[in-house]
Amino acid sequence: MIHAAVEILLAEDNPSDVELTLRTLKRSNLLNTVHVARDGEEALDFLFCRGPHAGRDFAAPKVVLLDLKLPKVDGIEVLEAIRADERTRLLPVVILTSSREQADVTSSYKLGVNSYIQKPVDFEQFQETIRQLGLYWLVVNQPPSEG
Amino acid sequence: MTRSTFPFRSLLGISAVLVLSISAVLAHASSPNEYDVKAAYLYNFGLFVQWPAAPEPDAAFTICVFGVDPFGKVLDRTLAGQSIGSQSTIPRRISNPQDALGCRILFVSSSEENNVKQFLSSLGKTAVLTVSDMPQFLDRGGMIQFMVVNNRVRFEVNLAAARRAGLTLSSQLVKLAVTVETSLPPEK
Amino acid sequence: MLVSAAALVLASGAFTAYTWLTFRAAMVEQLSVQARIIAFNSASALLFNDPVSAQKTLGALGASPSIVDAAIYDNGGGVFARYWRGRKSLIKAFPQISKSQTEAHWYTHGELSLARRIEPQGKPLGVVLIRCELGELTTRLEGYAAITAAVLAACLGAAVLISAGVHRSVSVPVIRLAETARLVSRDKNYSLRAAATGSRDELDFLIQSFNGMLEEIQQRDASLQKAHDELERRVEERTGLLHAANKELEAFSYSVSHDLRAPLRHISGFSKILAEENRDQLNADGRHYLARIEEGARNMGRLVDDLLSMGRISRQEVVRRPADLNLLWQEAWERLQPEFEGRKIEWRIGALPAAECDPGLIKLVFTNLLSNAVKYTRRRECAVIEAGQITVDGEDVIFVRDNGAGFDQKYAHKLFGVFQRLHREEDFEGAGVGLATVQRIIHKHGGRIWAEGKVECGAAFFFTLVPRKPSRPKPANSVSS
Ligand SMILES: Nc1ncnc2c1ncn2[C@@H]1O[C@H](COP(=O)(O)OP(=O)(O)O)[C@@H](O)[C@H]1O
Ligand SMILES: [Mg+2]
Repeated sequence: MIHAAVEILLAEDNPSDVELTLRTLKRSNLLNTVHVARDGEEALDFLFCRGPHAGRDFAAPKVVLLDLKLPKVDGIEVLEAIRADERTRLLPVVILTSSREQADVTSSYKLGVNSYIQKPVDFEQFQETIRQLGLYWLVVNQPPSEG
Repeated sequence: MTRSTFPFRSLLGISAVLVLSISAVLAHASSPNEYDVKAAYLYNFGLFVQWPAAPEPDAAFTICVFGVDPFGKVLDRTLAGQSIGSQSTIPRRISNPQDALGCRILFVSSSEENNVKQFLSSLGKTAVLTVSDMPQFLDRGGMIQFMVVNNRVRFEVNLAAARRAGLTLSSQLVKLAVTVETSLPPEK
Repeated sequence: MLVSAAALVLASGAFTAYTWLTFRAAMVEQLSVQARIIAFNSASALLFNDPVSAQKTLGALGASPSIVDAAIYDNGGGVFARYWRGRKSLIKAFPQISKSQTEAHWYTHGELSLARRIEPQGKPLGVVLIRCELGELTTRLEGYAAITAAVLAACLGAAVLISAGVHRSVSVPVIRLAETARLVSRDKNYSLRAAATGSRDELDFLIQSFNGMLEEIQQRDASLQKAHDELERRVEERTGLLHAANKELEAFSYSVSHDLRAPLRHISGFSKILAEENRDQLNADGRHYLARIEEGARNMGRLVDDLLSMGRISRQEVVRRPADLNLLWQEAWERLQPEFEGRKIEWRIGALPAAECDPGLIKLVFTNLLSNAVKYTRRRECAVIEAGQITVDGEDVIFVRDNGAGFDQKYAHKLFGVFQRLHREEDFEGAGVGLATVQRIIHKHGGRIWAEGKVECGAAFFFTLVPRKPSRPKPANSVSS
């Protein structure tokens, strides 16, 4: 699993949301490239090959799906860290959250988030959103060339 | 001395023409006809006496002449249209002593000089103002007696005689009298 | 000083004039009484042509030394009787008295003449004329004038003396007091004090009172300032508390939006999955219940969303800009189009005015009213929805009307409360937050909103966007609290 090329990093603490998201991704044939981080710290460890992921060779995923409300290090802090690191400065980050608060939206965009998606309550809409997201960032969008 | 006690207060309706004619008579008192003046005075006396109430309100104020009438038409002219109080004045000639009872003012002609005393006492307390120009009229029980002084017609009064008849003469009249008798003549 | 002198001169002048007039009037009255007495007493003399008696009557005038002469004329104008004092005077011609009068008087060379008709009970018999000299009046007047002049001179002299003294003991301290008062009111410096005279008189008392007043003002100022500071501090404290409360509220709605929406999504998601993947294991009842679970989750999601947006709007400042209400209506209409696709609706949209308002918020108002109109006309074969502007009592009123289910006017006041609904969920779904939001927006604009409705006949909503001009009577149907 460590060797597989991770295309999506999902930072989400809520198991139900994880399950629903993963199911949707699976339905869209995108599941095998997903790594799930259950809090902000773990997401950063995974990205920058630290802690439990120290042995991993650095390889940026194609997109990070980031919840804002994460234990330990919250979504905004994770985003800050990503934007602060040279290697992940241009990494596409999609905020995926329940919050519709204007403050969250604004600060996210200020930190250079690529998309801000509010998770719909309605499951069908949710499914549709996730599907399109995966398609867009993994299939349509060409990652910017490094260097 | 105010108007309210003025004895003329009940005097109404004297026509201006007649008053003017009276004034003319007064202004020329010594003029030929002495009886013009006396007729006017007869009427004027009525103005200065407090009369007992008339038996009927609209009864005439009768001024009588007893005996031979010395006035003639003058008296009728003088009294025509005049009134004393609310009563209009009319002249009347009487020859019967009993008729004097209906008179207010009674002029006793000199022709009656012989039986005047008897006639006056027959009037008793009847409220008749007796006037005459015969001499000694007051001594015989009369009330007002004409006389001529300095060519002017003047008069004397006997207050007691008037009072006995229940008549009060106004002080305004009394003060003009040449003499004022205050006692009755002795009964004989 | 000059003023008081002038006043004194004026007063004494007025006094003298008054005295003169009073004496004259008294003189005329006195003469008139005498004329009346003579007229009364000479009437019979005239009637019985007795000038001697009339003369006696006139002779009574000898008691009045000021009477120079007198005469009684008969109607023909001839002198009937006369009286004179001292040198025999020339009695003038028959005095003329105008017809309307019974008495007349006139003045000649220091003499007063008075003529009176002798007419007992209005029957003219003659005229009485009396003349008197005004010597008495003049003498008395001269006396008065002399006294007045003396008093005047004395007063002025005294005034000069007193004012010199007063200047030293009164004017100077008063001027100083006035100067202090001027400084105090100019500089608002209430710590100034007027210098005392030390003489223990009324002036000193005045100065002390003045100083006392300043003292009082100073103290009051101080306590006012203290109260003001205290108030300021308390306002600050309260504002702080308010801010904290607001922060808390924000945090609360933030967590609601997060924490409440997530479990709903899960309920909705898993029941969907259950319905998809375990369809065959479920009988018809099970599938029905599942559908109800989903529906419930969806409703609650909408409720949470509505509540949150209402909270957000409540906190939002109104930013007024000129806006074309027609445009806002159009935008709301377009946004809701999906809701009434396939419906037969007759639109009667009149011209809406331009207004100074918060366009975003007013668009929300239109969106809510329009979505209600669309929703509550759903059962109509042919729905009619109107919007436009009318003028009521000189006020611009915007309205949205429909011919839908309507409501009982009895409950009109309830429409605008949060979660207040007049229809059952199974008839018309909804959360009961829309009109509450609308009302808040209108009130934030200073306007009013009210509704009219009749069951099964439709509903109309009216609102204004600016505070009512004062002194206008409130329409009976307005609901504005
Ligand atoms: N156009 C309308 N016709 C009839 N009733 C209405 C209309 N608009 C609103 N109402 C009544 O007012 C209530 C409150 O409206 P609203 O706050 O928008 O809540 P909701 O529409 O979600 O029920 C509604 O439940 C309904 O009973
Ligand atoms: Mg609604």
